[in-house]
Amino acid sequence: MKKMFRILGMHCANCSMRIESIEDDLPGVKEINASYHKGQMVIEYDEKLVMDEQIIAAVKKKGYQAVPV
Amino acid sequence: MDQYLVAFITGLTTGGLSCLAVQGGLLASSLERQLEREMLSRPVATGKKKLKALQRSHSRMALPILLFLGAKVAAYTVLGFLLGALGSVLKLNPVTRAVLLILIGLFMVGNALRMFNIHPIFRYFVIEPPKFITRYIRRTSKSEEFVTPLFLGVMTVLIPCGVTQAMMAVAIGTGDPWQAAGLMLAFTLGTSPVFFIVSFLATELGSKMETIFMRVVAVVVLMLGLVSIDSGFTLMGAPSLMNWAQSWMGAAPVAQTAPVSGGSGVLLLNATNDGYSPRILHAMANKSLKLNMITQNTYSCARGFVIPSLNVEQLLPASGRVVIDIPPQPANTVMQFTCSMGMYTGQIIFDLN
Repeated sequence: MKKMFRILGMHCANCSMRIESIEDDLPGVKEINASYHKGQMVIEYDEKLVMDEQIIAAVKKKGYQAVPV
Repeated sequence: MDQYLVAFITGLTTGGLSCLAVQGGLLASSLERQLEREMLSRPVATGKKKLKALQRSHSRMALPILLFLGAKVAAYTVLGFLLGALGSVLKLNPVTRAVLLILIGLFMVGNALRMFNIHPIFRYFVIEPPKFITRYIRRTSKSEEFVTPLFLGVMTVLIPCGVTQAMMAVAIGTGDPWQAAGLMLAFTLGTSPVFFIVSFLATELGSKMETIFMRVVAVVVLMLGLVSIDSGFTLMGAPSLMNWAQSWMGAAPVAQTAPVSGGSGVLLLNATNDGYSPRILHAMANKSLKLNMITQNTYSCARGFVIPSLNVEQLLPASGRVVIDIPPQPANTVMQFTCSMGMYTGQIIFDLN
């Protein structure tokens, strides 16, 4: 499934790259498209393998706050 | 020479740390893998032995960091050359250069407001690299090959930070490949010490420090942006706000009056590495004027002499004398002159006596 999150705490274009690296860290995440311009990320994941709480925690670990839209 | 020093100091003070966020992260992730692999390949050590092994591993980290920085400096120098070449192809006359300087200034001011987090709209002042590039770079950083730091150093040209983007815009504005390459070289060399130290210590700025630091960077970028806008307007013939600020602070430039000989005035104006001297000249109104431009080992942009109101643009030799004929001007005319970058300025005031 695809879901959009608002991301708080991004301060540069490269923050989106940091957030997208969750793709490699969290099993079940297929693709992340994060945008510094829009301050959001669109994540495609397998809901059987990963839950929203895990995604929010992974984003927090990178130093940002994710809020489901 | 001044502009290279400014570029170096900008790199040293703001560029290095502002780019560390991602570029340092890339390098660190690559180094971490190497460090991890090295530790795993050693027999299990404890206490002092473990500490010594760790110190040896850290000292070995110096080489990949140096490779990364060397590749980064080289790549940005080449990029600077290409940007300067692009600027020269655009055949910039003083007016287009002025417009470019104003746009660069607005870009910098917008970036500063973005860093201050004034409004999300200012986020569009920074260019976001395409996803396929960031994804490719991210995955490469996880490779364990020794050439990785070298490759990543080159790849940083694709993910420049805001301060670097501003410096790249200035490089285009020079319209000279070598000057632009020199600027980018000075800037990236300036960023290297901070980059090296922080990467070597493998520490990260705490989020509080990062916030404070971003504010400092924003103030510097804002000031550079305003100077660029001022330079653009100066190049268009408007009085320089910097001059006004200097005279307001009491640093009035020395004036020189033109002696009149045979119906025309003669003025001497030195173009030095620090700008023009004297900065204010007085000449007789309604009489033609011979402006003697003198250079001696001058390598700054003061060599590109511009009088916007007369559409005069003269490239002066590094050492020598060039005479510029100025037609008679009515009384009370204040003629602005500037360097080709709008950085160094001065004026000729035409009086009745």
